[in-house]
Amino acid sequence: MPSNKELSAALDIEGTVPIHSVQLDAMVVLKIVKHCRESIPATVTGQLMGLDVNGVLEVTHSFPMPKNNQDSEDDASNYQVQMMRCLREVNVDDNSVGWYQSTNMGNFMNQSLIEHQFEFQQALSKSVLIIHDVARSSMGNINLRALRLTPAFMKLYKEKKFTTEALTKAKLTFSNIFEELPITIRNTALLTALLYELETADESVEVSTSHLTTYKSTASAPASKSVLAPSFDVLDLSLDPYVAKNLENLMDTIDDHHQEQGNYAYWQRSVERENKKKAAYLLNRKTENARRAQSGQAPLANEDVDAMFKTPAEPSRLDHLLISGQIDNYCKQINEFAGPTLGKLFAVGELQK
Amino acid sequence: MMDNSSTLHLALPAVHTAASATAPPSLAQPRAFSTSVNPLVFFSILDHYLRRNAGQDRVIGTLLGVRSEDGSEVEIKGCYPVPHLETEDQVEVDMEYHRTMFELHKQVNPKEVIVGWYATGAALNSYSALIHDFYQKEVSSFPAVHLTMDTALTNERLGVKTYISAPVGITSKADNCMFIPIPCDVKYFKAERAGLELLANAKSTESGPTSLLSDMDNLEQSVIEVQKMLERVSEYVDSVLAGTIPANNTVGRYLMDTVSVVPKVDAAEFEKMFNSHLQDLLMVIYLANMTRTQLAVAKRLEKLM
Repeated sequence: MPSNKELSAALDIEGTVPIHSVQLDAMVVLKIVKHCRESIPATVTGQLMGLDVNGVLEVTHSFPMPKNNQDSEDDASNYQVQMMRCLREVNVDDNSVGWYQSTNMGNFMNQSLIEHQFEFQQALSKSVLIIHDVARSSMGNINLRALRLTPAFMKLYKEKKFTTEALTKAKLTFSNIFEELPITIRNTALLTALLYELETADESVEVSTSHLTTYKSTASAPASKSVLAPSFDVLDLSLDPYVAKNLENLMDTIDDHHQEQGNYAYWQRSVERENKKKAAYLLNRKTENARRAQSGQAPLANEDVDAMFKTPAEPSRLDHLLISGQIDNYCKQINEFAGPTLGKLFAVGELQK
Repeated sequence: MMDNSSTLHLALPAVHTAASATAPPSLAQPRAFSTSVNPLVFFSILDHYLRRNAGQDRVIGTLLGVRSEDGSEVEIKGCYPVPHLETEDQVEVDMEYHRTMFELHKQVNPKEVIVGWYATGAALNSYSALIHDFYQKEVSSFPAVHLTMDTALTNERLGVKTYISAPVGITSKADNCMFIPIPCDVKYFKAERAGLELLANAKSTESGPTSLLSDMDNLEQSVIEVQKMLERVSEYVDSVLAGTIPANNTVGRYLMDTVSVVPKVDAAEFEKMFNSHLQDLLMVIYLANMTRTQLAVAKRLEKLM
């Protein structure tokens, strides 16, 4: 048993050790997948609970949040408080360590998500956001990502100033909004036993009632009965639906990007105009003063130029950051998809020979 | 087959009394009452068992799910634990907790209803009967399902059994009932299936946690699996041809069917299809990479400013 000092060091009560990876319990993985799967196409969220030990954030339990948006904030937090209270009674770690969200085709980078995560991270420094991509997971491999906002971004978001110079000063670009943490999955010993059993069990789960009440035929091929018989969804060759959807999303986001650029250009032009007007006015003043000095009159007072020509405020560049990040995400997805697909394609080519 | 416990486990085709209460009486054959379970339920039960208070031998909880229209198929989709206390002479179940949790769960999944309860430990005793009675009241008109999971690992397996109860005996007291085993299946979504496979891979590595596989790795594993299967089959065929293993006609026919499923495509046709598929993919990759490069250049420029 670790001594008290070791334990408190491991538990990091002061919050100084940064998290470097996330460890999910097997049950949490299945719960997230089931919840997200049941509610497509809507995106749903839920809470994660666990503890952080030695820089690894262990997530041991999760529960889904009801998805009615019309409810007020109070209802949602009420639900959460009640749920955590109930879970505490059955000895579940009731320490909130983050939240998860489902997404479709990777379109999760929007303002509300950032805001939510910011507030979460503000309140709990050791928290993480898990994104589960439902569309990609149907192709034979579970897609889970653990994300946190980088500290640089958090600082900037707090001040709410997203001008170009603030961004360059903080060296913030779309690729370092989020930092991604590696995920590992943990199985308890009993769970391992269960998995072995599911693999070998054809009839053990089906009790010896074959002669009783069931009219199911138990004479079918054993391989199909076993729960963990290999599935080959991943060897599917169809490319159209996934790539087409991805491209559509990509085009939409590029349109948004274009609009953002348009806005920015408009702002720049209006600043130009204002500056020109200001310069013209100053010039006017100077010539006026020179003329007066010549004719012996007192020069006109220099009025406050700036108050007269107000330059419009720079639009927030946050949207631009998010949109660029989103585009990057889509492109990365296409790349990641392309790798295995090329492999499959050539494999089939070989088989044909 | 009689036991020494206060409940009899008998195998009887007596589902008539329970299931066909809802089925039309004109049915000649009794409808089979069966359940299917989502593996998540097993995981949750095990997790709950691990977290039990010291001194508790078994834990119970509520099962949630959906049932088919005629009431004969029950699909168990979720569960939650319920604190309970078992002493020598009495048993207590926290009903308030059970109701509260059900309300909370209903907010997320309005379609799931209470379909029964679970307990760890294979024994069925009179407490089980009492608790079952309580749950039967919750489930109202349909028979409640009781699921047990043998966490003590007798016979070296986590035996999972599902039961419904039927009243037996002269007086209709709560604990005069008989638990009848019913068949149970495991059902899940395709995506969950990928998750299960991942977890199953984890079990082969010694104790430590496994990491998520990238798509490429996943593909590699599947291809290796297929390769192994093909090797096994070709070994079998070779040994049959050499005469070392007696030929089995069924297997042979099955193999022939499988092989003939591979579509016979004309070589030129295939070339054309292959090339067009490849070109589509390459073009998309090219465009995506170009977009990324554009963004990266813009990023550098911004930094320079």
